[in-house]
Amino acid sequence: MSSLLLLNGSPRGERSNSMKMLSRVAEGWVQAGGAEPEVLHLTKKADSLRAIEAFGTADTVMLGMPLYTDSMPALVKTYIEALAPYVGRDDNPRIGFLVQSGFSEALHSRPLERYLTKLAARLGCEYAGTIVRGGGEALQAMPDEASKRLWERLRGLGESLAREGRFDVELLTQVAGLERLSPWGARWMSLASNLRLIDFYWNGQLKKNGAWDTRFAAPYV
Amino acid sequence: MNVVILNGEPITGSVFDTYIHDIAERMSASGHEVRVLELRDLDIKGCSGCWGCWVKTPGECVKRDDTEQICRAVINSDLYVLASPMVMGFTTALLKRAADQIIPLVHPYIVIEGGEMHHLPRYKRYPKMGLLLGADADTDAEDLALTEQMWSRMARNLKSQLVLTAVTNRPTEEVARELATVA
Repeated sequence: MSSLLLLNGSPRGERSNSMKMLSRVAEGWVQAGGAEPEVLHLTKKADSLRAIEAFGTADTVMLGMPLYTDSMPALVKTYIEALAPYVGRDDNPRIGFLVQSGFSEALHSRPLERYLTKLAARLGCEYAGTIVRGGGEALQAMPDEASKRLWERLRGLGESLAREGRFDVELLTQVAGLERLSPWGARWMSLASNLRLIDFYWNGQLKKNGAWDTRFAAPYV
Repeated sequence: MNVVILNGEPITGSVFDTYIHDIAERMSASGHEVRVLELRDLDIKGCSGCWGCWVKTPGECVKRDDTEQICRAVINSDLYVLASPMVMGFTTALLKRAADQIIPLVHPYIVIEGGEMHHLPRYKRYPKMGLLLGADADTDAEDLALTEQMWSRMARNLKSQLVLTAVTNRPTEEVARELATVA
């Protein structure tokens, strides 16, 4: 059976949205006959050391992360730098990625996707593809039906990784969802945001924390 | 003009380090106020995605470290320069650790700009952004283009604009002069 190293690059660790999504991919991988994956969280010191070593022996590596200031979180870049000794080695693993962003549109994650594609080539790894998904922060608030469909598709991606060694392109498009707002969508969102109708999540948090009155604070000027 | 350079070189006294300090000296000599923040000497705990800077202590990180110093220096500058050698096709993890903690400078609320979702500004004015990259033997034109693309998207999200990207194979005199004119 083919081995899978599942790396969670979220600074939030085990309870992150990235990990939730990665778990579904792993389920699909196992359903399709892959071995039970080794799961490591890059937030943990011991795990991050193990992740460097395990890269050398895995058949397939799956690295997931949230988009942080339009690229990978620092934690993930630290890991990538530690992979330098593997550049150009003959028997590097196949590699696939997952990037999820807070913004709803997938377009925000595309530059990082291009970087990760190049990273696979730099390492000399066979590239399985990158799962891109917008609106990650809304996962908790998503109705069950919608999240069920997403989980199903992520499992499907895990299955295609196990069976074909790469992500199913059609499923990648479905999981990515909204690539960019339509002109009408943008107009509607613009209106809604001007009226501050789409910030209820943040407003709830601000009120709960007693920070409502200072929400527009500009402490450094 | 007030310039702050975020130096993401982890190694003191390297060729890249010397290059950055030469740029800073040249800009100071021509009358600009230049400050180099040596990120390697700062205590930066790292963003853990808690959103505290947006919903608990708006505008400030909840962790007590040198983040405040970085944010304060950036928002009060006319130009902030991200400086880093290229490692594995992108700027260093050290620079990224600092950049991840710059989000207190914007507001969590969403606005639509150029048909895309972005954040509402927290401050009235934002500085412009520059990018100084040290290329190694492993760096190609595509790496530089991808790196520029990611940072220019970040600039946009920070209500800023990437006005100059320079690679350290150019003479410091020339780059210092250009930086002084773009801001």
